[in-house]
Amino acid sequence: MRISNLLMASAAAIVLSMGAAQADGHSMKIKIGTEGAYPPFNNLEADGSLVGFDVDVAKALCEEMKAECEFVTQDWDGIIPALLAGKFDAIIASMSITEERKETVDFTNKYYNTPPAIAVPKDSKIAEATDAALAGMVIGAQSSTTHSNYAEEKLGSAELKLYPTPDEYKLDVANGRIDGVIDDVVVLSDWLATDDGACCKILGTLTPDLMINGEGAGIAIRKGEDELREKFNAAIDAIIANGTYKEINDKYFTFDVYGG
Amino acid sequence: MIAWELLGFGDAGYGDTIAMGVVVTVSLALATLPVGLALGFFVALAKQSTEWSLRTAADIYTTIFRGLPELLTLFLIYYGMQIGVQQLIKALDLDISFEFNTFVAGVITLAFVFSSYASEVFLSAFRAIPKGQYEGGFALGIPRPKVMRLIILPQLIRIAMPGLANLWMLLLKDTALVSAIGLNDIVRETRVAAGSTKEVFLFSSVSFFLFLVLALLSSIVISRIEAFGKKADTR
Repeated sequence: MRISNLLMASAAAIVLSMGAAQADGHSMKIKIGTEGAYPPFNNLEADGSLVGFDVDVAKALCEEMKAECEFVTQDWDGIIPALLAGKFDAIIASMSITEERKETVDFTNKYYNTPPAIAVPKDSKIAEATDAALAGMVIGAQSSTTHSNYAEEKLGSAELKLYPTPDEYKLDVANGRIDGVIDDVVVLSDWLATDDGACCKILGTLTPDLMINGEGAGIAIRKGEDELREKFNAAIDAIIANGTYKEINDKYFTFDVYGG
Repeated sequence: MIAWELLGFGDAGYGDTIAMGVVVTVSLALATLPVGLALGFFVALAKQSTEWSLRTAADIYTTIFRGLPELLTLFLIYYGMQIGVQQLIKALDLDISFEFNTFVAGVITLAFVFSSYASEVFLSAFRAIPKGQYEGGFALGIPRPKVMRLIILPQLIRIAMPGLANLWMLLLKDTALVSAIGLNDIVRETRVAAGSTKEVFLFSSVSFFLFLVLALLSSIVISRIEAFGKKADTR
């Protein structure tokens, strides 16, 4: 059922994008929504400037598409409703492509894909990042994220505790209130590199599940705007091909975040 | 980086953005107050009207806005109206873009919620005023609007004051919800600063301290107003 829907949608998208390619003309204006509190992907500096991997990728994509881009920051909780309401035209905020989200928005191809990981206090007795080893332990995660869904589905033996933002589960694990946390490996290793993260270590990475973690992080756009989606897809391919993507990748990470 | 630098004004610290957050929070609450009070007053009037339809409408109003979670009300008003108007523009085939102002949406939502609670406070205050006060006014031949304005209203405000002061405190804290629709209030600004610097505890404390100061300032103003109202009691 789901697959046939997807096939239909992609077939329709191909037909529409063929028409759209010819309508290509003068430079367009795109408003890009992002969260601004998710370093190193997107965060607001003290001087009010927006920095991070997502932001640099977005700028590179806009340059590639010859589009004028404007950034709008928006709290994560209302970010999809804001897109639907037209506050901006695309979300570039490390949003994972999931089936659930696809019911309300369309996604471009992924622009990166990193595995989830589990971090625990340094003196933790948990042996490895598996469901069996985590049995009975309390694991923290940010609510409404793929990581919380992953913990719910794949780490059923552990007790899941949900937090509105990563900051809160970080405080709780540092204080020993929970036994571990699950999040993206990049987010966790970035946190562990700071003083606040001195409490903890990475227990191990988990195997991404296509149904939960999806194909990685994509750019969310309103349903039916296939022309814009195809432009983004072409631009993603282009910046990977011309080396811009690798430059941005190396600026922030020591490993390849695009993922195979 | 040390805490003082992070809280400083200028490019190195988040002091200026957080200060802007305070301005947003305070102005939002101050803008909501008169709207909410006026709405609440009229809803309370409607609730004790002899007209059946008015009473029912007022009851439905307070049931909805006291019953719905505030965040949901905010989403319904902000995104619902935005999407509604955009559908209308599309249907009429107009070439204009419409963006519902976040501040206005915040004020409308908070005013709806505030007024539905305030109407109950006003209602109980109305009931505390003896019938004789109206009858005395009418007996002197004073017209109805004047009885309301000169005799009932001053007493009403005095009786309703503690309840309304309560609601004001709640309103001040409810403003934090507007961060969900992209308005940069104290909570959102400190959260961004916390996320970007990883100094979560520091910025949470700042947020806590700012709300505490606002609450203290409010209670000073409220006790002044209450003292003013009590003048009528002393002879």
